Amino acid sequence: MTVPNEHLLFLAAILFAIGVCGFFVRRNSIMVLLSVELMLNAANLTFLAGSRMHSTAARPELSGPIFAIFVILVAAVEAGVGLALVIALFRRKQTVSLDQLNELGD
Amino acid sequence: MTPEALEALLHGSFAGIGAMVAVTLGILLLLLAEILPGAAKLKPVLFVATLVVAFLGELQLLGEPAGPVLGGSYIANQAAAAWGLVFLSATAVAWVFGRGYYTLEKPFQGEHDVLMLSSLLGMMLMSGAGDLITFFIGLELLSVPLYALCGFRRARNDSVEAGLKYFLLGAFGSALFLYGAALVYAGAGSVSLTTLSQVGASDSLSLIGLALIASALLFKAGVFPFHFWIPDVYQGAPTPVTTFMATGTKAAAFAFLLNMAFLLPPAAASSLAWIALLTIAIGNLGALVSRDLKRMLALSGVAHAGILLLAVVSYLKSGDVELAEESAIYYMAAYVFSAGGAFGLLALLESKGDEATTLDSIKGLGSRRPGIAAAMTVFMLSLGGIPATGGFLGKYFVFSSLVVKADMVGVALIAILLSVIALGYYLRVIIAMWMEAETEDAAQLSEPKRLGGAAAAVCVAMVLWLGVLPDFFLGLMR
Repeated sequence: MTVPNEHLLFLAAILFAIGVCGFFVRRNSIMVLLSVELMLNAANLTFLAGSRMHSTAARPELSGPIFAIFVILVAAVEAGVGLALVIALFRRKQTVSLDQLNELGD
Repeated sequence: MTPEALEALLHGSFAGIGAMVAVTLGILLLLLAEILPGAAKLKPVLFVATLVVAFLGELQLLGEPAGPVLGGSYIANQAAAAWGLVFLSATAVAWVFGRGYYTLEKPFQGEHDVLMLSSLLGMMLMSGAGDLITFFIGLELLSVPLYALCGFRRARNDSVEAGLKYFLLGAFGSALFLYGAALVYAGAGSVSLTTLSQVGASDSLSLIGLALIASALLFKAGVFPFHFWIPDVYQGAPTPVTTFMATGTKAAAFAFLLNMAFLLPPAAASSLAWIALLTIAIGNLGALVSRDLKRMLALSGVAHAGILLLAVVSYLKSGDVELAEESAIYYMAAYVFSAGGAFGLLALLESKGDEATTLDSIKGLGSRRPGIAAAMTVFMLSLGGIPATGGFLGKYFVFSSLVVKADMVGVALIAILLSVIALGYYLRVIIAMWMEAETEDAAQLSEPKRLGGAAAAVCVAMVLWLGVLPDFFLGLMR
């Protein structure tokens, strides 16, 4: 028994929705970063599901998995720079809460 | 892969990606110079040499386009080359005005320059991307160094805040794009733009995906309703970085939007036209009420993004991609020199790294530094679209393609009327500089360096050249 492709797409959509909600609701910058990672992984799952949907035994469709590998790499890069910025914020304000990002404005 | 297949894949590629190879080599050499003792003097030379070689490469490509290279993942056509020239100019302007800007961070100037070049490489990759993977790598190569650059002055709260805000929202935008790309892939079974245009991505999954991709691009370009991050980030980032972001990022996002616009359903034209008009209105009204000059220029950039979006609308409606690309590139070239010059002058005037960028601080500039004030006047007039400047011709090309080719006279008229609001705040800057008395704030402005003055003169010359003799530049593109 195999998992139908629609289920994979649905799971990915739910993951993405959780990520979007987390992005807007959480005030801790680390949790916001995690929410973005969740969104990226929803995209990965969709890529893999897409690859399964369009592959045939004779001709596997591989650009989806390749895209997913690039996404994993880029997610690591983003997390590196993002956490560095979070540390810079913590050094200045001793907190990682987004409520502290309130100095810019007219 | 057999050697023959590899040979076939790479055949003719290096003519197409020569400029990007040059920039990559420049990045590696700059990093090497960072660790070699005694190579510090070489760094500016290396940076300039990289830009010059890449510029020559793009000019060469403009003359003889190489077409699809690397198995179709990069399309080295004339538009990509022309956009490349725009990005290189934006980098050069931001870099020259940024010399001598940093004080506390001066030891890290080398890293700053490497990050800038990486971002430039990302822009070049985006503008010619032939598939969504290449575009995504370009987008991240553009964004990630910019996150770091925004937070570059890490001893200051505003810079760190701008960096973190830009990072979180930028990562959100990238995730939107990715999920969109994944849905298009799940729906249509390909990530290559050529294949997608053949199979036609019109099933419901692909359409949702395309909408997400378009939103992510509008997000990066700072178009309503995704413009809210622009004023904060532009205000908090170091001014040379703002110069670079305002000009380069916007150009790169629109370059790819024009490349992929053929995938959008024709019905998207009218909703994009509405979005463009709202963007112009909101950008201009926001700029009208802001006192901080960086914020004002940032919001005016939002309005300019709206006008560029009209070029995309005109393409969607008329199907004439060359005209749309030509007008967008011309508009952006004029914007690079006028907005780049204006932000650059603000960078020059900031004293000891402290910002003196309110309207009060430039009062009476005309009597103390007539040269700087005159240059700023030219930039403001060009941004406002006064004839004989590049900004006017850019607007003229966009609006005329909208009226003649796309038959959207009403949209063009409303856009022109909304653009008139912009004159209100551009003229206010000119009045403050020439007709109002100095305030105490003004005393803090720093003495501009000679290099910066020369850069301002070059920018003024380019703005006027683009405004008076367009034939030379149009001839390059045809």
